[in-house]
Amino acid sequence: MKTNKKTLGMFAVIFVILLFVPLIFRSNYYMTIICQILIYSIVVFGMNFITGMTGQMNLASAGIMACGGYTMAILGTKFGLSPWIGLVAAIAVGYLIGQLLGYPSLKLKGTYLALTTLAFTEVVRLLATNMVELTGGTQGIKNIPCFSIFGFKFDSSFKFYYLALAFFIVAMLASLRIVKSKWGREFLAVRDNIEAIDSLGLDVKRIKLRAFTLAAIFTAVAGVLYVSFYQYMNSATYTTGLSFNFVIMLLLGGIGSVYGNVIGAILVILLPELLRFLGDFYQMFFYLLALLCAMFFPKGVISIVEKIRNVVLSDRKKAVAAGGKSGKE
Amino acid sequence: MSDMLKVDKISTYYGKVQALHEVSLEIGSGEMISIIGSNGAGKSTLMKSIMGIVQPKSGTITYDGKDITKMKASKVVYNGISYVPEGRAIFPEMTVRDNLEMGAFSRKYSGDEMEQHIEDMYQIFPRLKERQKQLAGSLSGGEQQMLAVCRGLMSDPRLIMFDEPSLGLAPVIVEEMFKVILEIHQARNIPVILVEQNAFMALKISDRCYVLENGVITLSGKSEELLESDEIRKSYLGG
Repeated sequence: MKTNKKTLGMFAVIFVILLFVPLIFRSNYYMTIICQILIYSIVVFGMNFITGMTGQMNLASAGIMACGGYTMAILGTKFGLSPWIGLVAAIAVGYLIGQLLGYPSLKLKGTYLALTTLAFTEVVRLLATNMVELTGGTQGIKNIPCFSIFGFKFDSSFKFYYLALAFFIVAMLASLRIVKSKWGREFLAVRDNIEAIDSLGLDVKRIKLRAFTLAAIFTAVAGVLYVSFYQYMNSATYTTGLSFNFVIMLLLGGIGSVYGNVIGAILVILLPELLRFLGDFYQMFFYLLALLCAMFFPKGVISIVEKIRNVVLSDRKKAVAAGGKSGKE
Repeated sequence: MSDMLKVDKISTYYGKVQALHEVSLEIGSGEMISIIGSNGAGKSTLMKSIMGIVQPKSGTITYDGKDITKMKASKVVYNGISYVPEGRAIFPEMTVRDNLEMGAFSRKYSGDEMEQHIEDMYQIFPRLKERQKQLAGSLSGGEQQMLAVCRGLMSDPRLIMFDEPSLGLAPVIVEEMFKVILEIHQARNIPVILVEQNAFMALKISDRCYVLENGVITLSGKSEELLESDEIRKSYLGG
C-alpha cells in the first residue's frame, strides 16, 4: 500500500510536469520533437506485444502506420469526414490488417516472418506511390484535417501536444494493464517455451494473432496522429527504414518493459538531433551506440535502472540484516 | 471398474511417417497405468494424440463416454485431462507463481479459486512457495520438474498423464518424484498414465503396463507379472 501511494504520487508529479511542458519548451522545434516521441512511443507499445513479448519479428509497422494515416487522410480530404471518424475507421483497418496479415504470417517463423512483414511495408509504399488518384503519390495529401474538440482545434504543435499526450497516456495505461494480464503472460509464454503451451490447452496461433492485432491497432492509431500532426503525408515517409527504427527503439529501450519502450523512443528520436554536430558521421555513431547497447545491455537501457535498484535494495537488506543481528546481540 | 479413457486402434502420422500403428489401451477410474518403451517408440506421440495436439488419422479416443478424437487441446484440458510434457517444459523467464497460473488458463477461476489452487500446490511442494517470486529458470532440475507437475494439476484434472517425469534427474530426486506421483494418484483419487523409460520404477508403482515398440503395443498386462516376465527382464531391466 505504501509503495502504491508513493508511485501514485510520483505519477501525479510527472503528470503535472508533462502538462506544463509547452510552457517550458517555448520553441516549435522542441515541441515537434516531443510530439514525435509521444506518437512513436505508441507504435513501440504495440511492437512490444508482438516482437518484445511474443518474440515474433514485425517489420510491417511502417506499412500499417501508412494504412492508418491514409485511411484518415482520404476520409478527411475526399469525403470531408471528421478526423474522429477517420480514427475509428483506422482502428478498424488496423484490426483487419492484424487478422488478415497475421494469419498467414504467423505460421512462419524467424527470418521468413521478418521477410513477409517487410514485404508488406514495401507493397504498401509502392501502392501508395503509384495509386496517384487516391493517395496523391509522391506529391502526397495536403490539408489533412486536424482534430478538434468542441471547436478547440489542435492545429499547432503546442496544442497538438495535449492531444498526443492524452493518446499516449491511454495507450501506456492499456499497455501496462495488458503486460500484467493473462494475455501478457500468454504472450511471454510463446517466446519462452512454445512447446509447453500446447500441453496447457492454449492455442499458440490465437495468442500470436492477438498480439499482432494489438500491435497493428496501436500502430494504426499512431499513424492517424502522425498525419493529423503534420496535416500532410506522402508515401516516401513509410520506408522499411522506419520499420527498422521501431525495432531499434524497442531493443534499445528494453524488451517487455513499457517504460523501456518510452525510453527507446526518446533515445532514437533525440540522438539524431543531439548528434547533429557530427554531420555525416552521425549514422556511424548512432549505430555504434545501438550495437554497444545490444552487447552490454541486451535487455535495454531500462535494465540499467533495474540493476541500480537491485544494488540499492540488496544494500538496504544487508543493512537491515546487520542491524537485526547487532540488535539481538 | 469402468473405463475412463479408451483408446481404440489409433494410427498417427507425421507427414508420411507412421508413428503409431493401431494402438489401443484403456484406463479405468482409480487406476495407474504405465507405458514403457525405448526412444522413438511413439510414447510421446500417443500422449499428444490423446491431448489433441496431433490428430490420429484413424481410430477413436473415448473419454468418459465422449468421443474426443477430433477435439482441440484446449477443449481436452477443459474436459479434465492434463498432460505434463517431457523435459521440464516450464517457462524459464516467468516466476514460479506465474508458471502455476499458466496451468489454469484454460479454465476460468475466480481470484479466490486461483489462490486456493496455488496454495494446494505449495502444500504438495513447499519448496515452490519459498521460490514463488523467483524465475522458474533459476530452479534446479528437480524443482523445475515439480513445477511442471504442479502446473499440470492446476487445471483440476480428472485424468493426468506424465511424460517421462524422471528424465535427467538425480536418482534421489527420481524416487521423490515417483513418490509424489503415487501420492497424487492416491490422495486425489485420479487415474494416472505414466510414460517412462525407467521401466523398473514404472512397473513398480503402476497397476498395469503397456510396452510400446516402434509404434506398436507388443505386450501388456499386470505390472507385477511383467516384472517377472523374461522378455521384459531381458529388454528393459538389464538381464
